[in-house]
Amino acid sequence: MRGSSLIQIVQVGFKSLRLHKLRSGLTMLGMIIGVWAVIVLVAIGEGASHDAQEAIKALGAQNVIIRSVKPMSDKVQLQGSDMEWETIYGLKNSDASRISKTVPGVIKVLPVLTQRKNITHGKRDVDCQLIGTYPYYPQFTQSKMVAGTFLNEIEEARKENSCVLTLELAEKLFAGHNPLMEKVVIRGFESAQVFRVKGIIQERVEGAKLPQQKDALGRTISANVFIPLSTFKALFGIKNIDRSVGSLSVERVELSEIRVEFGSADEVMEALPLLREALDKTRRGKVDYEIQVPINELNALKAQKARDTRMLMYIACISLLVGGIGIMNIMLATVTERTQEIGVRRAMGATQKDITVQFLIETLILCLLGGSIGVCGGWGFAWVRHHLLHTTTIVTEWSVLAAFGLSVTVGLVFGLYPARRAALLDPIEALRHA
Amino acid sequence: MAKRSIIQIKDLKKVYDLGAFKVQALKGLNFDIEEGSYTAIMGPSGSGKSTLLNILGCLDRPSSGAYILGDDDVAHMDDKELSGVRGSRIGFIFQSYNLIQQLNVVENIHVPLFYQGKDISDHYDHCVKLAEKVGLADRLDHRPMQLSGGQQQRVAVARSLVNEPLMLLADEPTGNLDSTTEQEILDILDELHGEGRTLVIVTHDDAVAERAERVIHLKDGLVDQDIRKGAAKAVAN
Repeated sequence: MRGSSLIQIVQVGFKSLRLHKLRSGLTMLGMIIGVWAVIVLVAIGEGASHDAQEAIKALGAQNVIIRSVKPMSDKVQLQGSDMEWETIYGLKNSDASRISKTVPGVIKVLPVLTQRKNITHGKRDVDCQLIGTYPYYPQFTQSKMVAGTFLNEIEEARKENSCVLTLELAEKLFAGHNPLMEKVVIRGFESAQVFRVKGIIQERVEGAKLPQQKDALGRTISANVFIPLSTFKALFGIKNIDRSVGSLSVERVELSEIRVEFGSADEVMEALPLLREALDKTRRGKVDYEIQVPINELNALKAQKARDTRMLMYIACISLLVGGIGIMNIMLATVTERTQEIGVRRAMGATQKDITVQFLIETLILCLLGGSIGVCGGWGFAWVRHHLLHTTTIVTEWSVLAAFGLSVTVGLVFGLYPARRAALLDPIEALRHA
Repeated sequence: MAKRSIIQIKDLKKVYDLGAFKVQALKGLNFDIEEGSYTAIMGPSGSGKSTLLNILGCLDRPSSGAYILGDDDVAHMDDKELSGVRGSRIGFIFQSYNLIQQLNVVENIHVPLFYQGKDISDHYDHCVKLAEKVGLADRLDHRPMQLSGGQQQRVAVARSLVNEPLMLLADEPTGNLDSTTEQEILDILDELHGEGRTLVIVTHDDAVAERAERVIHLKDGLVDQDIRKGAAKAVAN
């Protein structure tokens, strides 16, 4: 094709399409919706996956989290009452030390003990999660201090009554005024203790992105109070008493969680069997723990996302196929309608190739224009969803390229047949066509 | 001595194969057309007039015989070559004007050049000059829909001239026009003849044929009469 004429063919194409604005618009609509859908669906999926990945990454890809889990039937009935139960299960301090000694690649082990408590300051009181842990908790969980400092070694050694509150809890409890150095009362089933607030912490996952995240019982978990593990054991013990309707259940759990940090994500995978071995050694088949491996979850999530994306692409292909058939249908009608014009152009010296190119370009204009509008629409929708509706929506470059590429492909494939049909018309017959 | 022949037709035959039987539309035509001449081709329907027009216009190929246009035998060219010949050596004028609706007057005039790979920006003045020549200087950016039949045919005439063709080939150029407009168009054609252009008009209208200096009558696929006026020489075939 003569290059300089291309611009003119495109101009003529636009003129021809403008001759039937409604028809061209409706034809493009198929393309617009197809491309829009690809971009929007991918962006929504990408956004959701991004959030989930962030949540998992916050746990640390090089970390493993072992949690105490209540076994199915291991209840011991307390004397004197058939409504009182005591259960002993879960992780122990000895587990933590055995892991750090026997499992290769372990850098640090963080024990965590958690119980439901109630915290009060003045007249305000809030249900909270009391967490006893070691001073290096913030580094371990990538949480950051908003004010004051976290618990230190001295407080741990001296079993001091110091506590650190999460930002959300501090806001609820102190409603504006500075909580640092203030006193709070933490109330359990059996005892109440006075603590001094020495810091405000913001946890990475709970604080930033998912303020409404609930735990298994539907309680907001951002209301956390951190105290030294030694203090926890000394003041509250490991006996957790929970009074439900009509019954009293007592649980003895030495550690709720053991977080294990490895040197790298690769070492995690190698060490997992040894980790299980270390835990199972003293348990005689009893399963009272679960292991969460963030890197596994991350990989599973990524695999799931790849599957979702593939599915989306299939759907997108189908919708673009439907759009393409619509375009072919219209172009065939156009060729019939413009038979005389084709005859005239042939008489004026147009070769079959010239006619093919002309109609192909008209189809391409429809597809590209529709594709561009779809891209802009999809992008706009994603922007509104992300910035105004605050739902993570990420437009990926490849989805834009794929949508655009597909619309061009559809244009070429579905435009070729009508264009060839136009080119192969007998000029004499075409000229005679009224 | 007569001027150079730009068209030589030798034993031109056209057979349509309709499967069950064959129709011989042209049964062996022989004639020359000289440069600068004005020829009308007449004949009743079924005489092979349209078939001859299509072959002369390089829209169709003869079954046998030679058709020499300029220096080339175009009888056996392929589709692409014929397209090139149509675009560069023949200026078509049709009964129903056949302008392209999306394009304005100047753009319509430019169409044959477009298919010669010539940009409109380089030939815009040339196209405008032709529009002026046919009296449409004030209608340059009108669309065909906005023009009368006579005006549209003027555009078509201008378009037929744009590539400086060897021959203007008109097919019932006044068939759709009223008598006043018909005279205007025929006057323009006379004028073009006066400038030395070669005209071939296919018509069944005696008033149109009257203007020509030579009339070729076809009958049953053969030249029936070939009348040259002025010289008053009639050659019966």
